[in-house]
Amino acid sequence: MSLCQNRLQEERKQWRRDHPFGFFAKPQRNAQGVLDLKKWECGIPGKEKTLWEGGLFKLDVIFPDGKFVPPLFHPNVYPSGTVCLSILNEEEGWKPAITIKQILLGIQALLDDPNPESPAQAEAYNLFKKDPAAYERKVKHIVKENPAP
Amino acid sequence: MDSEDEFISGMSSDQEMDDDLEDSLGEDFDDVDQGLDFDTQDKDIKSNHKPHEVEFKVIGPQEIQAAQDKHIDEVALILGLPTETCAILLRYFHWNKDRLIESYMDRPEQVLENAGFGPSSDGPPKTKVVLGFVCDICCEDEQGMETYAMKCDHRFCVDCYRQYLTHKIKDEGEAARIQCPREGCSRIVDSKSLDLLITGDVHERYQALLTRTYVDDKENLKWCPAPNCEYAIECGIKKRQLNQIVPSVHCTCSHSFCFGCTLNEHQPTPCSLVKKWLKKCEDDSETANWISANTKECPECGSTIEKNGGCNHMTCRKCKHEFCWICMGPWSEHGTSWYNCNRFEEKSGSEARDAQAKSRQSLERYLHYYNRYANHEQSAKLDKDLYLKTEKKMTNLQTMSGMSWIEVQFLEQASQTLQQCRQTLKWTYAFAFYLQRENLAHIFEDNQKDLEMAVENLSEMFEKPTAELAGLKVDMINKTAYCHKRRIILLSDTAENLKNGEWKFIVDLE
Repeated sequence: MSLCQNRLQEERKQWRRDHPFGFFAKPQRNAQGVLDLKKWECGIPGKEKTLWEGGLFKLDVIFPDGKFVPPLFHPNVYPSGTVCLSILNEEEGWKPAITIKQILLGIQALLDDPNPESPAQAEAYNLFKKDPAAYERKVKHIVKENPAP
Repeated sequence: MDSEDEFISGMSSDQEMDDDLEDSLGEDFDDVDQGLDFDTQDKDIKSNHKPHEVEFKVIGPQEIQAAQDKHIDEVALILGLPTETCAILLRYFHWNKDRLIESYMDRPEQVLENAGFGPSSDGPPKTKVVLGFVCDICCEDEQGMETYAMKCDHRFCVDCYRQYLTHKIKDEGEAARIQCPREGCSRIVDSKSLDLLITGDVHERYQALLTRTYVDDKENLKWCPAPNCEYAIECGIKKRQLNQIVPSVHCTCSHSFCFGCTLNEHQPTPCSLVKKWLKKCEDDSETANWISANTKECPECGSTIEKNGGCNHMTCRKCKHEFCWICMGPWSEHGTSWYNCNRFEEKSGSEARDAQAKSRQSLERYLHYYNRYANHEQSAKLDKDLYLKTEKKMTNLQTMSGMSWIEVQFLEQASQTLQQCRQTLKWTYAFAFYLQRENLAHIFEDNQKDLEMAVENLSEMFEKPTAELAGLKVDMINKTAYCHKRRIILLSDTAENLKNGEWKFIVDLE
């Protein structure tokens, strides 16, 4: 088994053994019904006591890339749904030992703590910068549209 | 603009040029030198230099290595540590010797620890086989697998560690500041661990990168930016001096560049103005200027309108608002005085017009300088073709007039002088753009004019058919010398005033 498959298999095992509450992450089956370890469907809940509480946001991870489906309204999420976060960037903070759990938790933390230094979409960024009240309203609306079960 | 700059740098340097010309035209240039000699208290500029020249030294790879070794040996002597340890410590302290010695004297354990050395009793780092170990990267749990961990005790299998380091060194060009592969651990992989884990060509690359950090970390050293050039330049000009001096340096590889910003040579314009100018030319702020100078906005919906016909009765395409182009008031109020607005000018109307006139003027001013700047850039490009033909011309001249090789060298010199002068002239326009109108600016413009005329004269002569060139030799040599002289005068004069802070600019030199 290739290194990549091996690692993903192990990640899957680890995740099933223990994962943070409210999150989900599972490999998808391909057309033949075989488990495709390179294609995961993940969900990130909004953190408690933040604007994002009560929401659940879906993320498709096709290793080594991942994106929100549908694209999320957030200053650091590109219109394509790709997330702009240092630990996801090989040239910045990515380390080979980083796990899926750490990545998902990292993205969850990013939700309520956007990085205005690297905006990725104009809509959310502008609102966040210029009209925080409207930004809050919009986020609340989005949480309502994507409720946690 | 790159192409012709490369070309310029492909020629012999300023300094050599001086020498060459001084050989053949000795007395003329001695006069210039004496005329421009000045007393200076500045240690960086020796009095045998012209004011626009700076002192610098080109250093090759061996000398860089030697300089590093010297520093390392000194520190080793003072601290009483092995040389490899000192090398790592120095790199960790960005080659700041004094800071290293001071910190080490204060708290040696802490310094060693931070730079990646554990307590010395540990001995050299070793790979280990750990029972029941699972690598966090590849998730391999095979028995007897070699593993490695630094002081932080984040253990991974040797294969993964090696792959990670190889990637960092080979693909990302990192060396002295590679972190532990564990997320969130910022321990730097020290060179002993690296020596243990990497091999062969990766190791070579690692050493080369380490050498680079020496030059990168030292303020008085800069790599020559020419592709594949291995030399570095040593120059004492500090960052804060850049508003007083434009440090052009010439590498052994014949590339000339500015030590301050490593862009191609841009005398007489100081780095901060060059940056501003390039940005101005590059971004579309001038588009906005054009729009404000040539268009008006519909008073109803704000759409931008360019008037392209004679009639002043405007109807906005978008909102169908009808208004008068002259007073911007609604057309309905004009009654029967069509095409001839005689309504009293309200204050707001005249203010709007003033603002427009101002913006139009500023655009024209910019374009004046930009056109001339671009023109010299263009001419230099065209002269480049000429230069390529020069060699042929020289051979032709040799066969036609029976001149020897040495006797036709004046052509090459003329061509080189032309290139240099054009490069200088180009930047004088960026300089003049930021200059405030006052007496010094007039003197500058006179100098600029003199140089420009001399250059155009020489350029014209250069394009004459080969048959005539032999007869023009003396004249051309004189003109070349004159151009060269004018250039030196302009640069020296500008440099001296810059040093004394005499220039007044319309923007702040930050």
